[in-house]
Amino acid sequence: MRVTSSMMVRSTLRDLSSSLERLQDAQNRATSGKQLLRPSNNPTATAAAMTTRQELRRSEQMVKEAEDAKGWLSTADAALTSGLDLLRRANDVVVAARNAATSDPATRQSFALELRSLRAELLSIANTKYADRSIFNGNAAGAAYDATGAYLGDTGDVVRDVAPSLSVTVNVTGPTVFGTAGGPVGNLFEVLDRLATAVETGNDTAIAAEQANLAAARDAYTAATATIGVRAARMEQIETRAADDKLRLLTQLSNAEDIDVVDALIQVKQQETRYQASLQVAARIIPPSLMDFLR
Amino acid sequence: MPSIGSLTTSVSGLNAQRRVLDVTAHNIANANTEGYHRQRVELRSLSITGVSGIFSGPSRQMGVDATKVTRAYDELLATRFQREDAARSNANALRTTMDTIEKLFPEPGDLGIAHQLDQFWASWSSVATNPGSAAARQELLARADQLVSSLNRAAADLQGVAETAMARVGLMAEDVNSLADQLATTNRAIGSSANPSPDLFDYRDQLIGQLARLTGATARITDNGMADVYIGNRALVVGADLVEPVDGTTGALRWVNGNQPVVITSGEAAGLAATINDIVPRYQAMIDGIASNLVTGVNALHVAGYDQAGATGWNFFDPTALTAGTIALSADVAGQPGRIAAGAPVLPGPTAPGPLDGGQAREIARLADAAGGVNAQYRQMITALAAETRGATTRAAVQDQVAETAAMDLKSIGSVDLDEEMATLVSAQRAYEANARVITAIDEMLGFLIERTGVVGR
Repeated sequence: MRVTSSMMVRSTLRDLSSSLERLQDAQNRATSGKQLLRPSNNPTATAAAMTTRQELRRSEQMVKEAEDAKGWLSTADAALTSGLDLLRRANDVVVAARNAATSDPATRQSFALELRSLRAELLSIANTKYADRSIFNGNAAGAAYDATGAYLGDTGDVVRDVAPSLSVTVNVTGPTVFGTAGGPVGNLFEVLDRLATAVETGNDTAIAAEQANLAAARDAYTAATATIGVRAARMEQIETRAADDKLRLLTQLSNAEDIDVVDALIQVKQQETRYQASLQVAARIIPPSLMDFLR
Repeated sequence: MPSIGSLTTSVSGLNAQRRVLDVTAHNIANANTEGYHRQRVELRSLSITGVSGIFSGPSRQMGVDATKVTRAYDELLATRFQREDAARSNANALRTTMDTIEKLFPEPGDLGIAHQLDQFWASWSSVATNPGSAAARQELLARADQLVSSLNRAAADLQGVAETAMARVGLMAEDVNSLADQLATTNRAIGSSANPSPDLFDYRDQLIGQLARLTGATARITDNGMADVYIGNRALVVGADLVEPVDGTTGALRWVNGNQPVVITSGEAAGLAATINDIVPRYQAMIDGIASNLVTGVNALHVAGYDQAGATGWNFFDPTALTAGTIALSADVAGQPGRIAAGAPVLPGPTAPGPLDGGQAREIARLADAAGGVNAQYRQMITALAAETRGATTRAAVQDQVAETAAMDLKSIGSVDLDEEMATLVSAQRAYEANARVITAIDEMLGFLIERTGVVGR
């Protein structure tokens, strides 16, 4: 093939410009710290990175929800556990009151007073709030119980999505814990109310009947407390796992999107050397022609 | 008179060598001219037997003829280069389009639509966790607004890509007509000259090359050196006539007579036509599908949900705006965060849930993970875009290489080599000197004859 100087100039220029393009590409990667500058750099990796990004956002949200669920459940757990002591004390008072049934009205009065104050404390537990929201009244706004012990909430569930396709119901409604109002027995507050009156009046048969009712209410309460306790304990695990998940996704995303710094710098250096070499070669081959030798 | 005849022979030699020098100078002057093909003087020896004279035998007219100048050119290689060059500008146009479209979707990153979708769903989940919070609801509306305007902008930008291409087609039509006109004029100049200059042919070939680059036009060289140019088998230029101009004002190339579309298979025009008729509509359809799924998916749940006041039936997005260009928040919720239907209906009934229920907002937030949902659809679109862009880039690079090889083959024959020209220069110069020496020799011979003979009896 006949080769002329203009052909050499042309191909040298092309080579130089493509070499410069590669250098610029390497520099872009090194300075931006990203290996996926555009989707077409690597379509498959782009799709993977986008999926990971979405999972990461979801996971961040789930970590938030898990924290919220954990706060909600541990608040409920602490409140209900403290209530257990109050119920035990109520039972002790009733037993003492039965033994002292014959004693003077002043003693009975003081027992009744204590029962009423226990009822008030339990009522305040029933109105426990988390993040300014009553936790035992379902999805209703405001307080769960009024002063008379009437339930103001609804039966709604409060759900948190704490992990991919895992949602946790974080609430129990008032009636589940404290019993349903009305009927022959009524809820815990009604039982305690009647019990205080019976103790006050020294009505032994009534006291015995209500003591049984109190025991039943206490069983229901304990069962609800246990349920919440188990859920709260499980949330610890779930939260840890959600945090781990987030970390794993962050690492995965970094692997997909970020450059290996050392590798990128070596690439830049390599392309730079290559470019300089082509410049030197170009400087050598372009000038000489027959004119330089004919005098 | 052989010696007198030698004088003529040498004069023809002098002329011929001077012509060689002229052409060499022309070559060197045009060493870097694009489209120039080196020229050669075709030297031909003359040897004509003349009529016998009275005192001489039959004389022979000798010498060299240097009237014909040819250019180093290979029609086959030139045609191949034109074809590959047209394909190259087609591939480049496609690559530019894909590049532009790709830049409209900066993924993966915090600026893309994917990120805004993620934030949109996250806001729903915030509302679900905190249905009573006005801040969470307000934020959701703001995020939705951002998402909507990003989709609007993407649609407008895509349309912009098509419109730019259409404007380019309009300019191209003018270019094509002007080139065709110049070619017709050049053809006329070639046809009217008995011995047309090689530079005219270079000019003709360059015009053909430009027409091929623009429209993939093909040329047929006729016997008299004129070029007939066809686009899609319909004549643009025949001989000295511009047969039929084209029009590009509608965004597509059309023949002026009969307003029929120009059949284009290569060249920049093919790339632009693909941009306008295939690529942009395809991605518009994809992003419209995403917008429409977003609207219907969210609305289906939202209409069934209950707002803070226990009212139901609100649309979240405008249900009549189902394209990316038009998608908008519905008048039901725009500016009224209290109307976001976070509450799930209580079944059977359905009746309104408590005001702090976030069940429906949670269902909407779960759309983020839905198989075949909006996120997955968008991801598919980006993957398709990335793959197509990569393909277009690779094809353009390959075609560039092919066209460059063809250009090199053509240049290998036609380009000026300065070394070669220097050698020609030296040899022509020497030959000129030698011819001059012959004339001096003959002159001396004649002088000797005139001065030294016939002196007897003087």
